[in-house]
Amino acid sequence: MSAADPTDVFRQEARELLEQLEQALLDLNDAPDDRDLVDSSFRALHTIKGSGAMFGFEEVAGFVHEFETAFDRVRKGTASISAELIKVALAAKDHIARLIAEPGKHAAAGEPILEHLRTVVESGVGHVPAPVAKAAAAGAPAAAAHGQSHGRSWRIKFRLPENALVLGANPLLLLDELRELGACEVAVSTDAVPPLDAIDPEVCYLGWDVVLSTDSPRQAIDDVFMFVRDDMELSIELVAPASTVATASAVAPQPSVALLPDINWKEPVPVVEIEKHRETSNAAGKTGSSLRVPAERLDQLMDRVGELVIAQARLSQLAAASDDANLKALSEEIERLASGLRDTTMGIRMVPIGTLFGRFRRLVHDLSNDLGKEVDFVTVGEETELDKTVIERLADPLVHVIRNAIDHGLEAPSRRVNAGKSGRGRVRLAATHAGAEVAISIADDGAGLNIERIRAKAVEAGLIAADAKLAEHELFQLVFHPGFSTAKEVTSLSGRGVGMDVVKRTIEGLRGHIDLSSKPGEGTTVTLRLPLTLAIIEGMLVRVGQGRYSIPLSAVEECVELPTDAEACKSGRNFLNIRGNLVPFLRLRELFKTKAPADPHQKVVIVSAGEFRVGLVVDQVIGNSQTVIKSLSKLHADVESFSGATILGDGTVALILDVSHLVTFGQNFESRLRDERIGRAA
Amino acid sequence: MSLNVNMSTLTGAKSTGGAMNALTLRLQDEIFAVEAESVREILDVVPITEVPNARIFVGGLINVRGRVVPLADLRVMFGMERPPADVNTRIVVVEVDLDGEPTIVAILADRVHDVTEIETATIQDAPRVGMRWRPEYIRGIGKRGDDFIIIPDMGKIFTMEDGKPSGSQEGVGL
Amino acid sequence: MSKSILVVDDSASIRQMVTLTLSGAGYGTLEAVDGEDGYSKAIANPVRAVITDLNMPRMNGIEFIRKFRAHQSSAGVPIVFLTTESNEEMKRQAKEAGAIAWIVKPFKQDQLLAVIKKVAGT
Repeated sequence: MSAADPTDVFRQEARELLEQLEQALLDLNDAPDDRDLVDSSFRALHTIKGSGAMFGFEEVAGFVHEFETAFDRVRKGTASISAELIKVALAAKDHIARLIAEPGKHAAAGEPILEHLRTVVESGVGHVPAPVAKAAAAGAPAAAAHGQSHGRSWRIKFRLPENALVLGANPLLLLDELRELGACEVAVSTDAVPPLDAIDPEVCYLGWDVVLSTDSPRQAIDDVFMFVRDDMELSIELVAPASTVATASAVAPQPSVALLPDINWKEPVPVVEIEKHRETSNAAGKTGSSLRVPAERLDQLMDRVGELVIAQARLSQLAAASDDANLKALSEEIERLASGLRDTTMGIRMVPIGTLFGRFRRLVHDLSNDLGKEVDFVTVGEETELDKTVIERLADPLVHVIRNAIDHGLEAPSRRVNAGKSGRGRVRLAATHAGAEVAISIADDGAGLNIERIRAKAVEAGLIAADAKLAEHELFQLVFHPGFSTAKEVTSLSGRGVGMDVVKRTIEGLRGHIDLSSKPGEGTTVTLRLPLTLAIIEGMLVRVGQGRYSIPLSAVEECVELPTDAEACKSGRNFLNIRGNLVPFLRLRELFKTKAPADPHQKVVIVSAGEFRVGLVVDQVIGNSQTVIKSLSKLHADVESFSGATILGDGTVALILDVSHLVTFGQNFESRLRDERIGRAA
Repeated sequence: MSLNVNMSTLTGAKSTGGAMNALTLRLQDEIFAVEAESVREILDVVPITEVPNARIFVGGLINVRGRVVPLADLRVMFGMERPPADVNTRIVVVEVDLDGEPTIVAILADRVHDVTEIETATIQDAPRVGMRWRPEYIRGIGKRGDDFIIIPDMGKIFTMEDGKPSGSQEGVGL
Repeated sequence: MSKSILVVDDSASIRQMVTLTLSGAGYGTLEAVDGEDGYSKAIANPVRAVITDLNMPRMNGIEFIRKFRAHQSSAGVPIVFLTTESNEEMKRQAKEAGAIAWIVKPFKQDQLLAVIKKVAGT
């Protein structure tokens, strides 16, 4: 990473910090008494200011400085946090982003924001919230009760590596720096000092235990040890005020000589027992070293791995056909390595969907304000991972669906209350893995969709015949048709509902599927299903007639024999009884119009997509193999049932079955069959 | 063993104003010419995977150096008989422009002749009537010696929605 | 304090900027133009801290740090190196060679002084 433009590095950093800031502000909206959130907001601002100055972004540095100054009362706890304050702070954060994106163009807009901020802060002065103990989250240090004028007390224990002094580290300077942050009580540990005749004057045997009272954030303490961090023992913990030095906080820093006993290498010093601590990890949000890699390099890596997998499959085939034991063993080894490499590489591109969810909180906050609807936004499954490119392309469709849910789905608070619901609407965004797919659902507890109105609108728009019989989920699918809209009012926010067809197209472009379900009065749920990976999967190879096909293994539930009575009865009861459940099945021979004669004992591969299952009847189940997914050319875009192709070990091409599509097909087929029979019987 | 001919060694320059640099190939009893510049490879016949429910004329897929490429049988478009492959059958891999996107497609040929120059002066438009095939598929008809050479319009052929010629036939034929 | 801070950099403008900043804050300074020059000056003069660039002709910064640390007069002398932000590898190498702190380029004068104050006091 040598030639990165430093300004780009700053921008990247600033983007992340601003995101952190936004999340912290939104969290503060829900938990206005959480000091840690205020601190982390300040940390983010402070870093942006410093780097901004260094990289020539003077406007940013200037604005953030003013922002900090105005916000400082909040940090000190003398002004309270209100929804209004958060709103202005968010506007300020947006302004900083603009200043960075287009320096020189937006300076004028800053002053009104700062003015507003100052006013809001002023009006919040004096309403100091009662300190609230923060609920013990995993690993959080015990929150101190917040005495407003004493700041907080920290217990800092450190011990430098033995060679520190030789390298020029000076513990006295470290202590001086700590003193600049606030009043310190310093105690030294001499338990590592060896007997006199064994002392090496160039080695540091001492450890220090400092109790520091300061208003400064934790980051300032970490910064003191910035250069020696890596090799030393260091622990920094918040303590309850009872053990704090009871002196006033504004003590002038004193030179090290007065408080610290003279370090005389030749004399033993009174021993104070202090536990040795391993260096505790910095909880300031850093999760370990990471690396930025251009996305194209990842794509190239994926391609290489894909080619390797194909070549390895061919090697396996050759080895299987050979008598050479060494070759067989080696081929197995390479298969294991290739498989591992594949998994690792796939993993690199996976990103938790939580990164997307964070963005939506701001959206919901703003929409809620603008529309005057109170919304509880719940997210589930942030850790669910998706391929990076898929996540990026999901952002816009999800924004649209959420907008729809809040704008059209949720009723006005008064209507909700009249209907016996809570005045606060609820939007729930959930992501989970299901077989070979990721399912993302957006559910609102609003008024639901009026299916009669949908049908009427569809007939009016000429999409269906007036007497057409459609199952409920098919009617809902009509909502995704271009030009379809049932929104009575066209609000400026959601437009005319023309977005839904674009949403569907985007999702299908990702080889995914979208469904709607709704209950009038209770709400609507939009469910997206997307393939888990775009490139390499485990596939089950099957044969239908002369052709071989691959089925994504993660979609396969089980394989059974086709009972002979089902075979004899061609139409009518195309169902299997699997442990008490009826599962419809599709004869792939029929679907693919296969001419070759059927094998005597057909097999059924039961696959699932979401909650629905279907059995696929094949002539033979061949086995499992890694399949590198190759997209089908545009020329085959019209062919349904296949989501891609792959190259088998013997060099021939096999098509990959699109399980979702087949399941839906099976569902439709089955419901039509049922309707027909009902029609006939009636 | 497949014959992999790298076209860049055979062809020199682009077609200049005076002549078209073309690869001639035979489909049944007619000779067709394809812009030499668009040809990527010429292969012997390889196993073909049938694509169920595809348009007839792109009913197959083949493996070209690890790439999955659709196989087109132009004989379908021109309403010809489609006997099974013989020792002369070849697969010509070309790059065509599909809706502005360069796309790799393989074409079945009963026989591949050579790379030759067709004087543009000899190329005439296809007559509107009296032809067995739809004139939209043909860019022009050239002459080389006594032979008529049909220059197909690849772009149109591959974007035509209708995959069935007059007298439709089922299956891929191989 | 009578000891000086040694500034080692092949760029005259950087040397000038650094020495002006340091002397403005009351530190004594000494200049060297590359690793070899830096080494000979470092062992010949009492030095309270060293600031060195890494990329220099004749002897680069890493070698200079190693060589200086091998000499007994380097004991207790903090060595600060100049580096770009994300170059973790260089930081690791320089620390292994015996440096203790770094300044990120491009840097402003107050940042320089803050680091010097941290490792060498006022």
